[in-house]
Amino acid sequence: MTASTNLKERARMHQPSKTAYPLSLPPKPKKKPLRKWALILVLLLVLAWAFSGSQFNFADLASGGPRMADMLSRSMPPDFSTLTDEKVYDFPPELKLHQLFLPVSLGTEQGEIKSRWWNNTFPQTILGATIQTIQMALTGTFLAVLFAFPLGFLAARNTSPHPLIYHTVKIIINFLRTIPDFAVGLILIAAIGLGPFAGTLALAFHTTTVLIKLFSESIENIDEGVVEAIEATGAHFVQIASFAVLPQVIPDFISFVLYRFETNIRAAAVLGLIGAGGIGLIMNSDFRMFQYPQAATSVLVLIVLVMFVDYTSARLRKMVL
Amino acid sequence: MAQPIIEVRDLKKGYGNGPLVLEDLSLSFHPGEFTTILGLSGSGKSTFLRCLNRLVEPSGGKIMIPSSILEKGEILEDEKPELDIVTLPLGPLRLWRRRVGMIFQQFNLAKRLSVLDNVLSGGLGGVNLFPSSLRLFSTPTREQAFRNLDRLGLLDRAYQRADTLSGGQQQRVAIARALMQKPRVILADEPVASLDPKLSVTILDILRRIAREDDISVIISLHTLELAKNYSDRIVGLSGGRIVFDGKPDRLEKEAIDRIYQPERARSHAPAL
Repeated sequence: MTASTNLKERARMHQPSKTAYPLSLPPKPKKKPLRKWALILVLLLVLAWAFSGSQFNFADLASGGPRMADMLSRSMPPDFSTLTDEKVYDFPPELKLHQLFLPVSLGTEQGEIKSRWWNNTFPQTILGATIQTIQMALTGTFLAVLFAFPLGFLAARNTSPHPLIYHTVKIIINFLRTIPDFAVGLILIAAIGLGPFAGTLALAFHTTTVLIKLFSESIENIDEGVVEAIEATGAHFVQIASFAVLPQVIPDFISFVLYRFETNIRAAAVLGLIGAGGIGLIMNSDFRMFQYPQAATSVLVLIVLVMFVDYTSARLRKMVL
Repeated sequence: MAQPIIEVRDLKKGYGNGPLVLEDLSLSFHPGEFTTILGLSGSGKSTFLRCLNRLVEPSGGKIMIPSSILEKGEILEDEKPELDIVTLPLGPLRLWRRRVGMIFQQFNLAKRLSVLDNVLSGGLGGVNLFPSSLRLFSTPTREQAFRNLDRLGLLDRAYQRADTLSGGQQQRVAIARALMQKPRVILADEPVASLDPKLSVTILDILRRIAREDDISVIISLHTLELAKNYSDRIVGLSGGRIVFDGKPDRLEKEAIDRIYQPERARSHAPAL
């Protein structure tokens, strides 16, 4: 009841009063319709050009559909025995399980068998390859943080000791960052051979360039007042970084590093396809040998892994921020 | 009066080719004196204060200090009785900055660090570089930090994060940080402009008490006449980068006030001081 009268009252108030004076409206801003249509036309032309270049083709999509369904049906159900069957792991009969998994002292011969199993046999299994992928991502991210942390300060306008250093680091980093990690991986595999080490270095290299950019941008956004205050106490450059800059950027840094770790898990899987170890390698060889049920298992394992890492890093981020 | 602790001669500051922000300022400051730099926004107050510890580089003039007040480091070889801040290299400049505490309108505390760490950061100039960069301090230094916090009535807040404190408390932490330097001069740039009137009075009371007790020269910039009159031993009126008044607060009469607060009218008949 009261609500409706209120509404009526309000409506009355908004009606033009009888003593309305003529308004002199500001001139409407002129539109340029021609330019708008020209822009849309150019955009359409660019899109058409892109579609033709990518050989987009509905017929291929239609004929590919059934084949895709066929492939999916042949990978169902996924073959989990590659994960659960003890035979897959090929445990050496010379060793007891606790000797294999715990850091106990062994004879020379047994020790050799143990290290051979860990380095050669285990990484061939889906579980071992998954663990190797995690190890690659961890090592690569850690190495990247190690290099990017000091270099980030040099690449930030407000903490770089000299404009020349700042510009040099920025230019080099911007250039190196354009090289995709699998290209670095191909170069490194050619140089130091197939295996997870080349992949790890490739991850470390690319992540370093990305983290330097993220770190330095975060440093450039800090509240300069605190820097001024610490500088005014007669403090040294390193002390200013520790007391005025770090406390402001640490949450950002942690969040960038966690995000890059997630990205590196995926990137490590892709690097496997070019022979740099990890789960990508297994997936690739399963697909090539038409072992679809096995390949499906490794895809599922990768999905679970990525989801798990996403979830834990989100939890971690919440904990530190 | 005793020997001045800072003597400014013909100080000039301009940015690029623009007009001068400070035009030929000459004045001295003495220990234990509470001096207010009074002026509108843009009159050059902040720039002037920052020239005194060279957070802003002067464009010309001299700022002389007695070299005896610097803690002797090997950097100071020649024993001249006076030093010019304007031409000092970074090493000895840091020695001077150690003797000059500074507090700010926005407090400028490291918000995510504890109150104690913020206070300790005031002592960075006088301690070993590497342990202090890892935020490690000796027991006597920490003891000193606790004493300064106690003096500002914030001992029980030592382990709290700085951003959990109210504005007035944060400014008190900033003062404790400045005291860690065992300063001979405190520069305060609009220290109460972000605080309510009651807290403003508290902060100014503390600063005046410290000036008296520790024989520190406090140089503070304010824009409100009432606070300046109530607290200062001396007021320096600044308008358009020039000194338009310099004297005891009771000598500040209507004509001088107009010169400070109405720069356009004052410009034409400002006496050269």
